[in-house]
Amino acid sequence: MPAIEVEGMERSFGELHAVAGVDLEVADGEIYGFLGPNGAGKTTMVRMLTTLLLPTAGRATVAGHDVVAEAAEVRRSIGVALQEAALDPLMTGRELIRLQATLHGIPKAEGERRADALLERVDLAGAADRRVGNYSGGMQRRLDLAAALVHGPSVLFLDEPTTGLDPVSRKTIWEEVEKLNGEGTTVFLTTQYLEEADQLADRVGIIDNGRIVAEDTPAALKAQVGRPHLELSIAGEAGEGVNAVFERFGKPLPSRDGKVLVELEHGAAQVAPVVVALEEAGITVESLELVEPTLDDVFVARTGYHLEAEEQEAESAEAHS
Amino acid sequence: MSRAANRATIAALMTRARNEILRVPGAAIPGVLAPTIFFLGLNGVFGNLIQLRGFNADNYLSFIVPVSMLQGAGFTGAATGVNLARDIEGGWFDRLMASPAPRWVLLAGMALSASARALIPAALVLVVALALGASFPGVLGLLVAALLVMGMAATAAFWGMMLALRYRSQSAAPLMQAGMFLLVLLTPAYAPIALLQGWLHAIATVNPVTKVLDAMRQGFLGGVTWSDTWPGLVAIAALMFVLGAAALRGMNRFSARA
Amino acid sequence: MRANLRVIRALGVRSVRQTFRRPQLMAPIIVFPTLLLAVQTGGAAAALDLPGFPPVDSFLQFMLAGAMMQSVLLAGNSGGIALAVDIEMGFTDRLFAAPISRYAIVLGRLMGTAALGAFAGLWFLLIGVIFGAPIEDGVPGALLALVLVVLTSMAMGGIGASIALRTGSASVVQGLFPFVFVILFLSSAFFPQELMVEPAKTIATVNPLSFIAEGVRRPIIGGESAGDVAAALAAIAGIGLIALWLARGALRHRLRTGG
Repeated sequence: MPAIEVEGMERSFGELHAVAGVDLEVADGEIYGFLGPNGAGKTTMVRMLTTLLLPTAGRATVAGHDVVAEAAEVRRSIGVALQEAALDPLMTGRELIRLQATLHGIPKAEGERRADALLERVDLAGAADRRVGNYSGGMQRRLDLAAALVHGPSVLFLDEPTTGLDPVSRKTIWEEVEKLNGEGTTVFLTTQYLEEADQLADRVGIIDNGRIVAEDTPAALKAQVGRPHLELSIAGEAGEGVNAVFERFGKPLPSRDGKVLVELEHGAAQVAPVVVALEEAGITVESLELVEPTLDDVFVARTGYHLEAEEQEAESAEAHS
Repeated sequence: MSRAANRATIAALMTRARNEILRVPGAAIPGVLAPTIFFLGLNGVFGNLIQLRGFNADNYLSFIVPVSMLQGAGFTGAATGVNLARDIEGGWFDRLMASPAPRWVLLAGMALSASARALIPAALVLVVALALGASFPGVLGLLVAALLVMGMAATAAFWGMMLALRYRSQSAAPLMQAGMFLLVLLTPAYAPIALLQGWLHAIATVNPVTKVLDAMRQGFLGGVTWSDTWPGLVAIAALMFVLGAAALRGMNRFSARA
Repeated sequence: MRANLRVIRALGVRSVRQTFRRPQLMAPIIVFPTLLLAVQTGGAAAALDLPGFPPVDSFLQFMLAGAMMQSVLLAGNSGGIALAVDIEMGFTDRLFAAPISRYAIVLGRLMGTAALGAFAGLWFLLIGVIFGAPIEDGVPGALLALVLVVLTSMAMGGIGASIALRTGSASVVQGLFPFVFVILFLSSAFFPQELMVEPAKTIATVNPLSFIAEGVRRPIIGGESAGDVAAALAAIAGIGLIALWLARGALRHRLRTGG
């Protein structure tokens, strides 16, 4: 049974169609990434799946229960960490997790035990008795995540979990999500960061203007728009010899900025052989760069515009290295 | 959810409300002091009305103490509504709504916290009034007063929460406070019903809070009898029921809109 | 000097526009006192029967001045809040960095308060006429009352502005309002001071707000007015001077500490 099933889901606000007909399925134990720019409908979708908002059309089931007719059962099975970290600045971290436990009907002693364990897990044990108002952004997100786990949900919803965080905090959240998934939790996460979807998700659904424009594994999506290419700076003039070598491994591409380019038929595995072949042909390689297609390329191919501004791309590149 | 779980949730919500007063120094002071200040002002300004024929009291202080206590309850309850509006704006409310806690439990937790909190300004007004010479209402009178204050606070909380759920913004605060303020004053608050001017007389006659006020006044003006008490209890129960239902409906329909 | 006048006018226009553009903020300043007026008039109308009550056509006629005073206080408070918000947003920094008089800046803000005061004054005069509380001294009397109300709102606005300048916090200005309200209670705004109960009675005798309330009331209930009006003007001037002194201190503090 799929963890999440959505059929023809729609949500309009007057004239605005925030979600304009979405079908999707998330398998049990999967990490599904919902990728799209601001205003694409991601948050609206999450709110409908977490019973915070009623759809105007269509249906969905989460953990086997209908989000409208069996909302209470859905709430028992899901963990939710929304974009606005729903925290009370006057509470301590520990109090928040214990409150969440109470909301889920977990008895006091057990709630305390779980709070301790979760705070330890997200590395907030030291700050547990400080007020949330004094937490940094990263700490608040970790706390929100911990609270979402207190009742051991089978499906976890994360709405833009790392927006606004520094690269280190972002990494920490990613690691935690992967660990959770390893333990069997299905994760539905929305994000505007390619990187995040690429790294974490088993499958990615790209949403734009309320509709899914592409859906598959990150690798498959990227393969649809092209293959990786190699950019090389070589000593001396690029002559016929270079193209001859290239044709053995893929397709030579037009030179750019003094570099020679080749699209690789079989990806990164061919990098070393290409360099070796060039050396054998007497051509010295000074530097090289392997450029992979990105999900942004996929996005551009489907929608005609970029998902991320250049600024954010640079940020992601930093986090990646 | 089980009964024990519901009780625990209500207790947790009340604790959170209590923390808001305890952890923000000075936050509670305006709410606690205001009714007493209004009480003193009211007495200073209108105190001599007691000389008029038709006043069945010999002490204006005793006459208006219940008014100020009810006002305090109204103010406290309205503040609960303002807090809910703030929680909605800030996203905290999502946490409550996405949890399996039943809606009525959430409502009850917030209303009960208002009822409990309202006893504080009411107690302050009472102490000040007694110090200035108001008559002691007797234990029974005190009990009736406390009960009605708590009921009024819950009523005001339901009203405030209903508006918060409808408008989802703290800018609805004046409406929350003004509504309760009026409800308490469109009664024989300043003078006995016979001395009220035409239009106010008419409104006070049909206003359920008039019955509540009369029941509360008993102890301060004389003895407490069942026949003067039960109309007040019925009136406050009716108000709580009507506004509570409206608030619950508002909560259930909350997810229909953004 | 010309530059300052232009600044006052420009800021004044801005603050007036701000005030009237957001009716939901303006409403409590008019609506709340109106509600209170209705309730108090209806509830305490029998007060007319008290021996020693001044000669009036109706309790409403007496109370109008009180309602106007309330509006004036609320308007002054809201002017202070508006200035505090400007400070919090950094808008005033922009103004302070320009070569214009600081007093001109505050005065510009007070124009909005004055406009609000005028609006409130007109509103209650109209209510009086509609609900059977005619202005005994006619149109000149109404104008006189209006002028007093506008001047008072500016003086109270000055106090609010001073607090805003000193604290830079809108919530502090807001929090001080209840205290000002108390002071109004301890005056003859709502009841003849001879008929008040001690110790409120004694306080009302020396409270400047009493003099202003009497001054505003005189043209409405009729009778010899020169003395009351003069006393009112003196009280307004007094409050204005205090506001000026506070503002001066606050501005200097702000310049010295930058915040």
